[in-house]
Amino acid sequence: MTTTTTHDLTDLTRHEVGLLGGEPAGRWGRRRRRRSGPSVRRRWALVGVVAVGWSLWSAGVGRSSLVNPGGWTLVARFWAAAASPELSPGFLATAGRAALTTVAFAVLGTALSVAVGLVGGVLTSETWWRRARAGRRRLRPGWFVGRAAWGVPRGIHEAVWALFLVNVLGRDPLVGVLAIAIPFGAITAKVYAELIDEAAREPFDAVRAAGAGRVSALAYAVLPATLPDMVSYAFYRLECSLRSAVILGMIGAGGLGAELNLAFQGLSYRRMWTLIYALIAVSALADLWGSGLRRRGSHGRVGLSALAGLALVTVSWVHLRPDLGRLFGAPTRTLLVDVATAAWPPTLPADGWGGLVRRSLETVQMSLLAIALASTLAVVAAFAAARGGTTWPRRAVAGAARSTLLVTRAVPPPVWALLLLFVLFPGPLPGAVALGVYNFGILGRLMAEVVENLDPRPAASLHALGAPGLTVFSYATVPLAGARFAAYGLYRWEVAARETVVVGVVGAGGLGRLLEQQRTAFDYPGMLATVLALVAVSIAVDLVSASARRSLR
Amino acid sequence: MVSLRGVHVVYDGHAALDGFDLDVFAGEHVALVGPSGAGKTTALRLCSASVAATAGAVSVLGRDLGRASPSELHDVRRRVGTIHQQLDLIGPLRVVHNVNAGHLGSWSRFRALRSLLRPVGLEQARDALARVGIADKLLERTDRLSGGEQQRVALARVLVQGPDLILADEPVSSLDPARAEEVMDLLAEVVVDRHRTLLVSLHDFALARRRCDRIVGVRGGRVAFDLPADEVTDDLGHDLYRIEAGSRP
Repeated sequence: MTTTTTHDLTDLTRHEVGLLGGEPAGRWGRRRRRRSGPSVRRRWALVGVVAVGWSLWSAGVGRSSLVNPGGWTLVARFWAAAASPELSPGFLATAGRAALTTVAFAVLGTALSVAVGLVGGVLTSETWWRRARAGRRRLRPGWFVGRAAWGVPRGIHEAVWALFLVNVLGRDPLVGVLAIAIPFGAITAKVYAELIDEAAREPFDAVRAAGAGRVSALAYAVLPATLPDMVSYAFYRLECSLRSAVILGMIGAGGLGAELNLAFQGLSYRRMWTLIYALIAVSALADLWGSGLRRRGSHGRVGLSALAGLALVTVSWVHLRPDLGRLFGAPTRTLLVDVATAAWPPTLPADGWGGLVRRSLETVQMSLLAIALASTLAVVAAFAAARGGTTWPRRAVAGAARSTLLVTRAVPPPVWALLLLFVLFPGPLPGAVALGVYNFGILGRLMAEVVENLDPRPAASLHALGAPGLTVFSYATVPLAGARFAAYGLYRWEVAARETVVVGVVGAGGLGRLLEQQRTAFDYPGMLATVLALVAVSIAVDLVSASARRSLR
Repeated sequence: MVSLRGVHVVYDGHAALDGFDLDVFAGEHVALVGPSGAGKTTALRLCSASVAATAGAVSVLGRDLGRASPSELHDVRRRVGTIHQQLDLIGPLRVVHNVNAGHLGSWSRFRALRSLLRPVGLEQARDALARVGIADKLLERTDRLSGGEQQRVALARVLVQGPDLILADEPVSSLDPARAEEVMDLLAEVVVDRHRTLLVSLHDFALARRRCDRIVGVRGGRVAFDLPADEVTDDLGHDLYRIEAGSRP
């Protein structure tokens, strides 16, 4: 028997993006006043333009010289090296080992996130907490508590988790795995809970009415329908984990990230390109595996994939050998107490509240600039990269666009930032551009998928009544794709706001830079204050983004 | 108006039309009936110059589509209006733009773009919507309307386009019988008072007999019968929809 799962990335990420599900998850509550419509959307667009303009002005665009013309030769040398990566057997072995380490972190991190997501998703699903008697909608308090609790771990970037965990657990691979699994587990739990609640209720209620317990009712009546989507989402998370593992590698977890750092410090661009190609190969493999499963997911293949996944987890475990004992060991408890007492109470940076607020605003501005750049480029690239071209020039353009997107998202933002520092003077701008380039790769891919999945019928009907190409594009394609593009842009903005930390670490400004300064000075109370400011920024950005996205529905 | 002679259309090795002949004269109302996959939609798409015939002669509004220049094809498209199922409307746009889309064959690109920012021809759009009974929906988002209302928007679009030939591809298949009857009433009104020609594909045999002058039964990519509506019997209908052993529905 063959089951075809038609859900692709755009479908799956809708739970994170919160656009396509129709009614918001809160079916239980009173309906919110509708805050959408053209005038509301126009107001949001205006707010966006003003905010980006303000960020540009603050970053000094047009006011001071930003470009260091002397750096272009270095940049040119970097790109020239793309054609001749270092292929000596010794370095290839190093790159291979590094790739294995990165993959191992990503695989273990994902496996743990999925486990957390599965248990957490069930426990925070509305279905689980609904009373057995059909027709009653009252929920138990556990549901509310559970849903609310997922927000905090998601608001903190993996790199910050790693920074905290390394102080508690010491230098151990466990840190990298947990740093990925904590935030990703939380988001996976939220998505899985929504998948479970989206499944038809009647089978679940029928099995419950026949006297089955909640666990077996879920296993029989809900999981079979939601499993394909859960598997696909796990693969999407694996790709995200790979990118995270590289970034964590740069700050101490080893693997491709660490090697990239070393190669960059030695300015050996050819080695950098070897590592970049390894990264691209690894992410492409994950992408192929996941999308192959999504498109042609027969039971046999799913089973085979599950076996391969299990083997991969085992290999990763053996390779990294994380020391689980540390989790519950006495030293950990002491260190946790030490860190807590050292960090409490949080103290403001030297320049007080003003400094903290200024840097928080700088962080927001960086994320705004990054996402403005990323979305502008991504919209163009999405149409260029969309599959379905019939002529060979069209296909060549699509191929070129796809490889550009692949490279831009394979190179982690700190590396982009370091490269940009050749030609841009230090400050928030290189950080913002680095994040923009990286998110361009991710957004362009998501948007290309939106374009591929557009309903062709409205455009065909306009074409049939004789409308010229540009008119068809502006009447059918733009309105149909526009709202989704905007939703993805807003979703990535939230992520970019958290990611400013990782470019801050290389001196690009904002709270991330402050955090790095405090870390090197062992200023724990200061770090705590900065992390709290980061969480506040993240929550504020989420709230603004969520209400802007509501206007798109 | 329309003349199809021995037309073959082949998609991916599968013949959608297999020696199809049809004539529609000015002012006639003709229904195409037949099972799903019989080739009704393909026949309609030939007439709107959306697909090309693999073999045979297609002439619409006096032009041989096989030999028409791009500008002649454009002229035919402009003068042929198609009512699809409501799925072909642009959901996120306001109703007025979906109605104005009827103008897009004749508007310049500049005018079309400007209208998206500030709708042009509001009065005409409102009149068209008033004629189909939903003038108050002018500025609503199209995907917030019900299925029946969306079908009316599609009718209003054709009204604004003002074509000589109207093609309708199962315009009522997604509506309940009462709504279907209303929409067919409107369609008939729109067509009759401008003396336009109508070619409609329908599933509902009884509806076709009530509404059209002539009924063409289609089966397996060929014309099974072509008779005035009052000469079509129930038996003919049963034969048409009979499922043959080994045939694909």
